[in-house]
Amino acid sequence: MATTASFIIVSRNDIPIYEAEVGSATKREDAAQLHQFVLHAALDIVQDLAWTTSAMFLKNIDRFNDLVVLLNPLYLPGARIASSHFDTKVRALARKYL
Amino acid sequence: MDPASTPLGKMLLEEITPVVMVLRTDSVEEACVKNGLSFVEMLSPFCNFSNIDVPLRTSSDQPYRLRKFKLRLVYESDVHQPNVEVAKERLKQVITKAGEKENSELSSDPPQVSNLLDSSKSELLPSWFEYLNKELIRAASFSEHETFDHPVACLLVVSSMDEQPINRFVDLFNTNKLPSLLNDGAMDPKILKHYLLVHDNHDGSSEKALKILSEMKSTFGTNECHLLCINSSQDATMEHQDDPWASYKNDASPVQHLGCCLDVDDTSAVSATRRGFRNQIKNLWWRKGKDDPNEMPSGSMYTFSSIESQIRVLGDHAFMLHDYELALANYSLISTDYKLDKAWKRYAGVQEMMALAYFLLDQSRKEAEYCMENAFNTYLKLGSSGQQNATRCGLWWIEMLKTRDQYKEAASVYFRICSEELLHSAVMLEQASYCYLFSKPPMLYKYGFHLVLSGDRYRKTDQVKHAIRTYRSALSVYKETTWSYIRDHVHFHIGQWYALLGLHDLAVKHMLQVLACSHQSKATQELFLRDFVQIFQEAGKTFEVPGLQLPVIDISSLKVVFEDQRTYASYPAASVKESLWRSLEEDLIPSLPGARTNWLDVQTKLMPKRLRESNVCVAGEAIKVVVEFTNPLQVPISISNVSLICELSQSEEDKSDTNASTSELENDEDHQRVVMSDSASVILSEIDYSLGGGEKKLVELTVTPKMEGTLKLVGVRWKFSGCVVGFYTFESILLVKKIARGKRKAKQSPLNDLKFVVVKPVPKLEGHIHAFPEKAHAGHLQPLILELKNQSDCSIKNLKMKISHPRFLSIGNKEVPHVDFPACLEKRPDNKQSGTHANLKKPSEGVFLFPEDVAIKGDKPLLWPLWLHAAVPESVPLYIIIYYEMEDTSSVMKYRTLRLHYNLQVLPSLDVSFKISPCPSRLQEFLVRMDVVNKSSAQSFQVSQLSSVGDNWGISRLQTIDGIIPSQSLAVGQAFSFFFMLKSRRQSLVDAAGHVPDLFPDIGSDVRLCPESLKEPLVNITHSPLSDFHDSERSQHGIRNQEDDNTVDFILISRPLKSDRNSEEASDQPQLFSHHACYCRQYSLLPSSNADNLSEQKTASTSPISWTMNGPRTKYHNFSSSFCEISLRMTIHNSSDVIASISINTADSAGQSDALPSPRGWQPVVADTKVASPKVSVAVAGNSAELPSSEPVASPVSPFIWSGSSCSNVQLEPSSSTDVPMQICVFSPGTYDLSSYVLNWNLRKDGGGNQLEAKEKKPEEMRKLWGSCSGYPYFLTVLQSV
Repeated sequence: MATTASFIIVSRNDIPIYEAEVGSATKREDAAQLHQFVLHAALDIVQDLAWTTSAMFLKNIDRFNDLVVLLNPLYLPGARIASSHFDTKVRALARKYL
Repeated sequence: MDPASTPLGKMLLEEITPVVMVLRTDSVEEACVKNGLSFVEMLSPFCNFSNIDVPLRTSSDQPYRLRKFKLRLVYESDVHQPNVEVAKERLKQVITKAGEKENSELSSDPPQVSNLLDSSKSELLPSWFEYLNKELIRAASFSEHETFDHPVACLLVVSSMDEQPINRFVDLFNTNKLPSLLNDGAMDPKILKHYLLVHDNHDGSSEKALKILSEMKSTFGTNECHLLCINSSQDATMEHQDDPWASYKNDASPVQHLGCCLDVDDTSAVSATRRGFRNQIKNLWWRKGKDDPNEMPSGSMYTFSSIESQIRVLGDHAFMLHDYELALANYSLISTDYKLDKAWKRYAGVQEMMALAYFLLDQSRKEAEYCMENAFNTYLKLGSSGQQNATRCGLWWIEMLKTRDQYKEAASVYFRICSEELLHSAVMLEQASYCYLFSKPPMLYKYGFHLVLSGDRYRKTDQVKHAIRTYRSALSVYKETTWSYIRDHVHFHIGQWYALLGLHDLAVKHMLQVLACSHQSKATQELFLRDFVQIFQEAGKTFEVPGLQLPVIDISSLKVVFEDQRTYASYPAASVKESLWRSLEEDLIPSLPGARTNWLDVQTKLMPKRLRESNVCVAGEAIKVVVEFTNPLQVPISISNVSLICELSQSEEDKSDTNASTSELENDEDHQRVVMSDSASVILSEIDYSLGGGEKKLVELTVTPKMEGTLKLVGVRWKFSGCVVGFYTFESILLVKKIARGKRKAKQSPLNDLKFVVVKPVPKLEGHIHAFPEKAHAGHLQPLILELKNQSDCSIKNLKMKISHPRFLSIGNKEVPHVDFPACLEKRPDNKQSGTHANLKKPSEGVFLFPEDVAIKGDKPLLWPLWLHAAVPESVPLYIIIYYEMEDTSSVMKYRTLRLHYNLQVLPSLDVSFKISPCPSRLQEFLVRMDVVNKSSAQSFQVSQLSSVGDNWGISRLQTIDGIIPSQSLAVGQAFSFFFMLKSRRQSLVDAAGHVPDLFPDIGSDVRLCPESLKEPLVNITHSPLSDFHDSERSQHGIRNQEDDNTVDFILISRPLKSDRNSEEASDQPQLFSHHACYCRQYSLLPSSNADNLSEQKTASTSPISWTMNGPRTKYHNFSSSFCEISLRMTIHNSSDVIASISINTADSAGQSDALPSPRGWQPVVADTKVASPKVSVAVAGNSAELPSSEPVASPVSPFIWSGSSCSNVQLEPSSSTDVPMQICVFSPGTYDLSSYVLNWNLRKDGGGNQLEAKEKKPEEMRKLWGSCSGYPYFLTVLQSV
C-alpha cells in the first residue's frame, strides 16, 4: 500500500487552511483530489464527533479504501497557513508516524 | 409501526409469496394473445388477494387470519436462476433508459443545498431506483438453496381447441421442459397439480369444453379441474371500469383496450377458479407441516428429501403464510446445522430469512441486524456465486435500516454492495449518497463524495447522462468550496461530459471554473487547457466569456496615463507621483492675476466647467492604459488581439444614449456593437503576446480619439489561444474599489478616472535626452543633449525648464556646444577666467528661461546642451519639467508642461578625503593629505589633477609625479595617499608691519598629478560646468558661512584608465571625473564630502594653535659693552572655530625644556643639524634617555634668559592671528635655540564656562579642549661685533 498521507487543517466553514502531502510513495496523478475528497467527506463525522467529545484527537474517524482519516479539528478561524516553518515541522512529524 | 406496512414489509409480502408454475399449450397462449396479454398476465391480477380474511392454523393451536395474500404465476420456462450476463444486460437497459428520460433536466442549475434538505425524499430519489432494486432482487431468485421461490403448485393449462386435451395434460407435465429445480432433485417432484381448461368463446360454444372438463374430472379428480371461458365479449368494444391489468403490463401500448374481450363473466370465472386453488394450496401446506418426511442421509448436497431441506421448506411456507414465529423457529433450527456443515450459501439464506422474520415480527432489532449482517458477509465470502444474493440481501438490509431511519448505516451497506461491476456499484453509490442526504443530521460531505464516486463509475460505463446528473447534484455541495482539487475535479469532468453530449455552452461554463488552477500540477494544467480549447473548437464558434480567468488581470495595477496640460516624455515619467511634479512645477506655472484662494479657483478660470469635472485629453493624442496580465498557470498561454474597449460619443447630447447602452453591457452583442461603432472615431492598439508559466506582464494599451467628444474606457478584451474572447470591464472592479476606499476619494469618483473629455488638438512638445546613461561612476562628467520637438504647426513660446537635481544635471550654454568635449574644459593659457561665462543666464530659483528667440515648430527640433555630473554614489531620480505656452491664445489650454524623468544610478568610484594639518612653524602653510580609495567594482582610474578652488589658496606637490603613483593608476580597491603643500595667498595676512608675506607666486591652484608625458591638459575648474557643479556641491553643504576664508575646496580630476575601459560602455568619448570636496578646514579638517571620517578627525590630536617666531636670525653685538637684548615677535594663529586662550610660558633653564614632550605630528626637519648647538641635540635626545653623552654637554652653553613676563596670556578669536612681542637677553655670543617655551592653549566652547561639563559628558567625543605645545627650535646666532 502506498504510504502517502494527506494532512489538511480545516478552519471554520470548511476552508482548508493548510495542506500537506507527506509520504514516500510516488505520487499518483489523482492522489491530491482523492485525498481531498476523502478528507472532505470525513468532515461530516468530524462535525458529529466534535460535539460529543472534548478531546482534540478524534482517533481514526473514517476510512475509505484503506485511507485512514485522522483529523484534529482546530476550530480557529484563519486564512491559509503559508508558513514554511510550519510546513517543515509538519513534514518532520509526519515522518515519525509513517 | 406495523412492519408489514413498511416498504420492506410490502416488498416482502409481494416477493416472498408462493410460486405457481404454469404449464400451457400453445393454443392457450394464442387465445390469450387476442387480448394483448399472455396467459400469466391475464391471471396475475387475480392472484392478489387484498382482503380475503381466511382463518389459518399452523403448528400452534391459535388460529390467525390471513388478510392479504398473493400468488406468483410463473411459466415453467422462467423457473430457473437468471443468467448473470442476462441480468447484467437487463440492468444496463433499465439504467440507460432511465438516463434518457433525464435529458431535459441536464441543463438546469444544480439545486441549492438548502432546497435539497427541504424537499421530500420521493422528489429527490430518482423513481427508477425502486424498479431497479426490484430487478436486482429478482436476479437472485429461483436459487436452489432457498425454497420460497420454488413452485408450490403446478397449473396445467390446455385449450379446448387442443386435440386430445387429456393427453395434452399428461404430456405437459412429462416433458423434459420441466425446470431443473424439479429434475435435479432440489425440490420434490411430487408437486401439487391443478388442471385448467381454457375455452375461447369465439371459437364456439362451451359445450365441447364442458365435455372435456367432465372427462378431465374423471381422469384427474374433481377438485383439481376447472374450466376457464375467455373472450366471451362479442363486439370487442367493452370497456372495463377499472383495468386490472394495467399495472401488470409494462410494455403494452394500448392499455385501454386490454382485456377488452374478457367480459365480466370471465372475470368472475377466473376468480372462482383461483378460490378452489387456494384451498388446495392451503391443504398442501397443512399436510406438509404435519408430516415430516422420512429421513435421508444428508451429504453435501441437500435434496428435497433431506431433513434440512424439509425444514427449510416448512420455514419458507410458514413465512409465506405470515406465520413468522413458526418460520423463525424452523430457520433457527437448521441455521446451526448448515453452519456446522459449512453449507455457507444455505446458511446465509437461512440467516437472511431469520432477519426478515425478526423484522416482520418487529422483535429484537439487534438480532435482525445481526442475522442480516451475518448473511450478507457470508454471501460476500462466497465470491462471485454469492454476489447476486449478497446484493439482494443487502438491499433488504438497507430497507430494514431505512425503515428504522438508520440512513447512515444504510449508506454503508450500499457501499458494501458495490462490486467489481462498475455500473452496479455506480447505482449503489448513488443510492448511498442519497442515504447520507436523508440521514439526520444530513451528511452533505459524504453525499457529495459518494455522488462523485458514483458519477465516476457511471462515466466509466458510458452512462454519461447519469454521470452528469450525479456530478451536478454533487455541485450543490461543492459549489462554494475552497477545496481546490475537489472543485477542479468536479467542474472539469462535468465540462468534459457536457462536451461529449454536445452541450458546449454548459461545458464551457464549467471548464472556465477550472482554468485558473494554479495549484494543479503542470500536467494537469496542460490537460485542462487542452480540453478547454478542444471544446471550443468543437463548438465551432468563438465565445465571449466575461469572466475568463486567463490571464488574470490585476486591476490594482491599472494605470491610465493621459495628457492634458501635463504631458509626459515617457511612461516612467507618468508613473511618478503627481505631488512630486506639482512641487517642482510651483515656480513654473503662471499664477493668475486676481485673488485666488485655492487651486480649485485657478481651474475654474482656466477651463470651462465641463472640462473641470472630468479628465481632459487632446484629440489625436493617445491615452495609455497599463494593466498587468498574469498567467496563473505553469504552462505558457498565448494572448492575442489585446485591446481596449472604448466608446466615444460625439457630444453631450449623445451621452445619455451611450450610457444606456453601457448599462446593458452584460449582453455580449451589445458589447460588440459599442466597440464596432467606435472603431471609426478612435484608434485602438492591438497587442499579441504570450505569457510563460507564471509570468507577469505589464501590457501597454493605447487609445487615440480622433475627434472631440466624450471618451470612456469600458474595459479590455483579448483573445485567448485564438479562440476564446475574454473581456473584462473596469467598471465593476472600480465600483468595488470605490466602496473600499470610502470617503477618501469622495470628490472624484473613480469611475470618472476612465471618462475623458476630448478637446481639439493643441501643440504638444516632445522631448528626450540623447543617450542618457543609466549608470555612471561617481564624479562622472558628461555632456548631454536635450532634444525638444513640436510636431504640430502651431508654435509655442515662453519656454522654461526646471531640473530637480542641479547637483547632477545642469543646463549648458547654447553658445558653447560641447562637441569637443573635453577640450572645452581645458585650461587655455590665453583664456584666464574671462568671467564671461559667469553671467550666463543663471537660473533664478532653479528655473531656466530659454531665450525668447527659441522656436520649436514642425520637424526642426531644438537641441539644448546639458551637463551631467554624477555627484554622489546613489540612485537618483532626475525630474525635468519644461513649461511652454501656446502661441494661439484661443486654445482651451493656455500652457502645457512636459515632464521628463530619468533614473541615474551612480556607482562608487574614487573616494576622496582630505586631511589638512597646519604647519606649526609656518602660518598659512598646511600639509594636505589626500587619501584616495578606488571603491568601484571594475574600473581603474587615473588621477590627473587636483585643484583648489578660488584664488585664496595655492597648492603644490610634495612628491615628484613619478613618485606619487608608480603605476599611474588606481586599480580596484587600491588606496593611495598624496601629500601636498597648501599655502594661503590671502592679502589679509599681510602683517601689520607692512611686511609682505611670501606669497609663493610660483604656486598655482592646480596641480598636475600625472606625468607631463601623458599630455593630459589641465582642466579649467573655474569654467562652467565645473564651476556650476561646484557651486551646487557647495550649496549641498551650505550650512556653514559662505565667507569663511579658512576653508578650502578641492576638485580632483580623474580619468578612467584607458586600457581598462569597459567595452560595453562603448563610448569612445574621453571620460572625465571630477570629485569635489568642499569646506575643508584645518584642525577640524573635515572634508565635507566625507562625513564618515568625522569622529576620526575629531579625535586627532592636532593642535589648533600655530605660531611663528619672527625675528632676526643673526645678530652682531658687542658683548663687551652690554648684554644683548633681542626682540622677537611671535605670531599665533588660532585655526579653530572657537575662542582660544593661550598662555606662553617661557623657561630659562634648559632642563625644563627637556622635560617637555616633543610635539607630535608635525615636526620640522632641520636640514643642517651640525650647525645646531648642543642644545639642539638635547631637544632631540629628549625622546631617548639612552643617549647619556648628550646630557653633560648642556651645561657649558651659556644660557639666555627670557626677558619680559615669563607668562603672557592672549585671547584669540576664532580663525584669527595675533602678535605677541617677546624678548630675550643674551650674554655671550653663540647660537641659541629659542625653543624653551610652552604654549598652553585652552579652547573655550560656549564661552568657556561649561567646558568642563562638556568634557565630562562625552570626553571621547569632544575635540581636544586644551593642550600644550612646546616651542620648536628657532636658532639665533649672536656674534661678537668687531
